[in-house]
Amino acid sequence: MKKIFYMTLAFISVCSFPLSAGALRGTAHFNGTPPAPQKVDMNADPTCASAHTEPVYTEEAAVNSNLTLKHVFVYVKQGLEGRTFETPQAAAVLDQKGCQYEPHVFGIQVNQPLEIHNSDATLHNVHGMPRETKEFNLGMPIQGMKLTRKFEKPEIMVKFKCDVHPWMRAYAGVLAHPYYSVTDGEGKYEIKDLPPGKYVIEFWHEKYGTQTQEVSIGDAGDQTLDFTYAG
Amino acid sequence: MASASQDTKTSFWLYRFSLLLVGATLLLILAGGLVTSREAGLAVPDWPLSYGKFFPPMVGNIFWEHGHRMIAGAVAILTLVLSVWIQIQGKQPWLKRLAWAALGAVILQALLGGLTVLYMLPPAVSIFHACLAQTFFCFTVALAYFLHPNFIPAQPAQKSSAQSPNRLALMTFAFIYFQLILGASIRHSSFTAAPHVIFASLVFLHVTLLAIRILRFHGEDKALVRAALGLGFSTVLQVFLGIGAFVFTRMLERGYEPPPAEIFFTASHQTLGAAVLGMSAWICLRARR
Repeated sequence: MKKIFYMTLAFISVCSFPLSAGALRGTAHFNGTPPAPQKVDMNADPTCASAHTEPVYTEEAAVNSNLTLKHVFVYVKQGLEGRTFETPQAAAVLDQKGCQYEPHVFGIQVNQPLEIHNSDATLHNVHGMPRETKEFNLGMPIQGMKLTRKFEKPEIMVKFKCDVHPWMRAYAGVLAHPYYSVTDGEGKYEIKDLPPGKYVIEFWHEKYGTQTQEVSIGDAGDQTLDFTYAG
Repeated sequence: MASASQDTKTSFWLYRFSLLLVGATLLLILAGGLVTSREAGLAVPDWPLSYGKFFPPMVGNIFWEHGHRMIAGAVAILTLVLSVWIQIQGKQPWLKRLAWAALGAVILQALLGGLTVLYMLPPAVSIFHACLAQTFFCFTVALAYFLHPNFIPAQPAQKSSAQSPNRLALMTFAFIYFQLILGASIRHSSFTAAPHVIFASLVFLHVTLLAIRILRFHGEDKALVRAALGLGFSTVLQVFLGIGAFVFTRMLERGYEPPPAEIFFTASHQTLGAAVLGMSAWICLRARR
């Protein structure tokens, strides 16, 4: 009975949205001289070092070759107040592979399961440092090991680190809604199925900080919103 | 006659053993400093075992954290042996109590170390852990001082209060100890560095005054003079290390990992701080002769 009630509630909340929806797309431009890439020395753990044939660089300020910025978390900050959204049952995955986090920046909804994998033949500790939910530090000494965690409150951003391998860092944007994206290797992002309305969009980058812009999504559909970070 | 010779020999080895504990404790403080400087404190998330094992693979920062635990275990065993040895030797009751107090301190220190790991570095526990490390180091210095074969108990003051370094030595020790609390607060919380920087000038002034008084009125006590000069030199060096630590932790931008220079300045500043406190504790005890 309870299940039917919640399913009905979720259905109503989804149906309460206008049927027309558009995509918000854009590019994160980088203005200035890109910082010199910092090479990661993995020799402290031979398993990590042997996992890479090419040099590995920190992802703190990854500027793409087309002078765009990777790993920018883009999300709707304002404009969705009073609306409720279904929590996805499918887990978001954070993998520890080659002694690096994959993905480096990602989004997840409140109470959506986060599955943390260890694909490496070495031990990691996954140290989640949320401020709104309880901090955790879990040992993952076995290859193939999986752990699941949830975040109970929205938070921009939750930091993850491996204290064994200090070059490992990841960030999660925890939101009450599904309207977020992360810029890719060409600096592009896309937030799909955004209902018509006025929104404040925030761009978050771990080194270059945050900036916001307002945008209107009309019935006409898709909208483009670029932004620029100064180096 | 043979018994007296045997006692002298045993006392000599007991003293040497106490010096070994002093050295091992300073090494432990350095190892702890490296754990903090390398941000390796949570590389092993469980305690007292490490990843459920007595000896985990020593990769990455586990080397520093588990290495710190192993040195701590060795220091605890050395303290236990020394304490029992002092009881068996039939030393003075107050010295026996001091040895038990040192053993209690090292056990409490181990528990605090475990709490810092299990509760993910709560500032209050981490600061207490850092300060107790320095306090325990002073215990070991005091034990070594009292176990010296030529130890002479405190005598009534023979020099005027203006010449005696007694009170000034105690004040200097107290200032250095307070300075260490401020330093630990900066290192383990977001506490501002300003009081630590300002208080450094007060410590520097008192160390200078103490060294001058010892050189002027106690030149005949060569050991005391050497300690005063050592304290003065170490304090000057400590100021420079402190400036380096401040620049690297508060002024320069850094990536995910602390750079080697930052690790050097912060860990050596912390360890030399312990050595300065230990020297001032030794001078306090010596000045009472």
